[in-house]
Amino acid sequence: MKYSPGVVEIARKLRALASALGDIVYGATIYEMVRDLQKERGRIERLFVLVVFGDFLGIPILPPYYALQLLPYVVPSIETWKTSLLRERDLIDLVDFDT
Amino acid sequence: MNAMVVLILSIVGIAAGYGFYAKTIDKQVIQPDAKKATPAKMYMDGVDFTPAGRHVLFGYQFKSIAALGPILGPIVAVQWGWLPALLWIILGTIFIGWVQDYASIMIGVREEGQTFGALSYRLISPRSRLILITFIYFYLWLIMGAFGVQVGFNLLTNPAVPLGVIFVILVGILAGQMTYKWKQDIILTTVVTVVLALVGIWLGTLPGVKSLFSSLYGTAGGATSPTWFLAVTQARFIGTLLVVIICYFGAVLPIWRWAQPINYVSFWIVLLGIVGGLIGLFIWRPSMGDFPAYTTWTVAGLGPLWPILFVTIACGAISGWHSLVSSSGTARQLESETDALYVGGGSMFLEMFFATMAFLTATVAFGGLQGYKDAGGGAAAASVFSKGLAAFMNQWGLDKALGEGFGVAYGAVFLTLMALTIMYLVVRFMRVASAEALGDRFPVMKNVHVGTIVALILTLILIWLVPFLQIWVMFGAANQLMASLALLLVTLWLMSKGKRYQWTLWPFAFMFVTTIGALAFKIYEAFVLNLPNAGTKHGALTVGQYSTAQVVIGLIAVILMVTALILAWDGIKAIRRYQAEAAAPAKP
Repeated sequence: MKYSPGVVEIARKLRALASALGDIVYGATIYEMVRDLQKERGRIERLFVLVVFGDFLGIPILPPYYALQLLPYVVPSIETWKTSLLRERDLIDLVDFDT
Repeated sequence: MNAMVVLILSIVGIAAGYGFYAKTIDKQVIQPDAKKATPAKMYMDGVDFTPAGRHVLFGYQFKSIAALGPILGPIVAVQWGWLPALLWIILGTIFIGWVQDYASIMIGVREEGQTFGALSYRLISPRSRLILITFIYFYLWLIMGAFGVQVGFNLLTNPAVPLGVIFVILVGILAGQMTYKWKQDIILTTVVTVVLALVGIWLGTLPGVKSLFSSLYGTAGGATSPTWFLAVTQARFIGTLLVVIICYFGAVLPIWRWAQPINYVSFWIVLLGIVGGLIGLFIWRPSMGDFPAYTTWTVAGLGPLWPILFVTIACGAISGWHSLVSSSGTARQLESETDALYVGGGSMFLEMFFATMAFLTATVAFGGLQGYKDAGGGAAAASVFSKGLAAFMNQWGLDKALGEGFGVAYGAVFLTLMALTIMYLVVRFMRVASAEALGDRFPVMKNVHVGTIVALILTLILIWLVPFLQIWVMFGAANQLMASLALLLVTLWLMSKGKRYQWTLWPFAFMFVTTIGALAFKIYEAFVLNLPNAGTKHGALTVGQYSTAQVVIGLIAVILMVTALILAWDGIKAIRRYQAEAAAPAKP
């Protein structure tokens, strides 16, 4: 069955509205939980890279033997890792539920 | 005036403010660029910087900014009459509120996600960071006091409420267990926990449960709860103790175990309440009856309309809390610069709508001014809201006795949960702040439990000692001052970039003068009007206790005023510096 372009357009807009409402509810509810898990993973990754590649920052760590094998996987995120690790933080950062 | 006319006015305000003014500023001054990489994309590390879609972020922003502020402020402020309160909610949001929220996000986005502390260090002066953080500590303490007194003294002292709150907390813990440990589907978890929470709130209204709590409170048989000390009755003592215990667990337990799942269940309770109230309002379409548009210039216990009304309604028109959330949280998650107006401005306008609804619970739900006073008036604003919400929800055709009993308890649990959501976060912040500031000198302050207990004892001092209206006005003043400092930072930033800055400078000037005026009035009230006349004004307190309360509130006002004046002094020097730089001929 073929619908007129007007009906199709209305249906498309309704779908977009439903999707937006779903996203808003997600943002107000589960998003915080998901983000917290991501943060936890991010912190552990950051720590792992520090333990393995800390010598990049001048920390006197004897690189483990598998550091070279891991290097290709770490290279794309080295800059982000450095920025994240060395970024200056103050108390106001804690407003983002980060305690 | 009819409630529908008020709602239409607020919708027209949103259309004019967001659809015209905000969009014009966004396009012509800030000129967001969808192609420019935001900090969330540039520095994506999964910890501080994570991009999120615009609708998701809108939900996050609104959830983070909405608490008791937009609800209680308008209910307290209608004591000057409905017209000044309504005008400030609508015009304040259109000309100042969204400006601050949106600009706070944009400054964070354009300055690589830096916090206000770092920005004030760079844009104002090195010492301003420390002053700002000191100021924020006092501000958060006042949030704890203002929210704590309403929950502990008003909401939880209703014997139909505590079981509902305890039930929702237990159900929240169950939600955390189901989600994180048992790996259950989120829809199943939601349905089970929300239904259980509703059942728990209903159980709290049963006569047996109410008489149990009445006995605990010493109010069985309609007796008045005995006063234990200061103005703290047995019921109020148990109420505040409950608040403190809940906040203690919220501050020391992992977020996934306590705060987050409880907040999750609370969200649904709050959402159902808002939707239910709104539907009831549309069915009922009540008018304000004899509620006067204007009552008097000076309201007893509060003060003169200017400047006090403008700090009494804080979050419903403008709030410093929003600037902290916007700059430190939302700005680091914005996927595209073009989303900033929708997320920051849009959620502020939605909060304005929320404040309008709270305004209506006070003005139309009880048939007029006397009904509002009988429901508790400004001093028991939380009770007014819960009773007003119940009156709206009763329009669905529920049995009146069931509707009133359940509706009032539901409204009270709704408000308690909204307050607790922010209070967990504030206690955690206070704990970490005291560990940072005092931890080296007193290592015991680094202990999680000690830091939390210190923060909660400070909170109890404020709740037990200082009357609600005084705390609320001080909280509002600190909140608005935080907002004006955020506007100052944004103005300096715009000047440093050579952009038009009048749209933030004038709101800053108005808010700063108003809040300094409010603080000056509180100092005058505490030290000149109240303290020398403590013998006649002490009410239920002893003269010594009343005098101590005045000294506490007066000193907090002095500290806030001094820190704000130092920041403003440095800010004005920075403005002159930027103006001189702009006027200087360009170097060849």
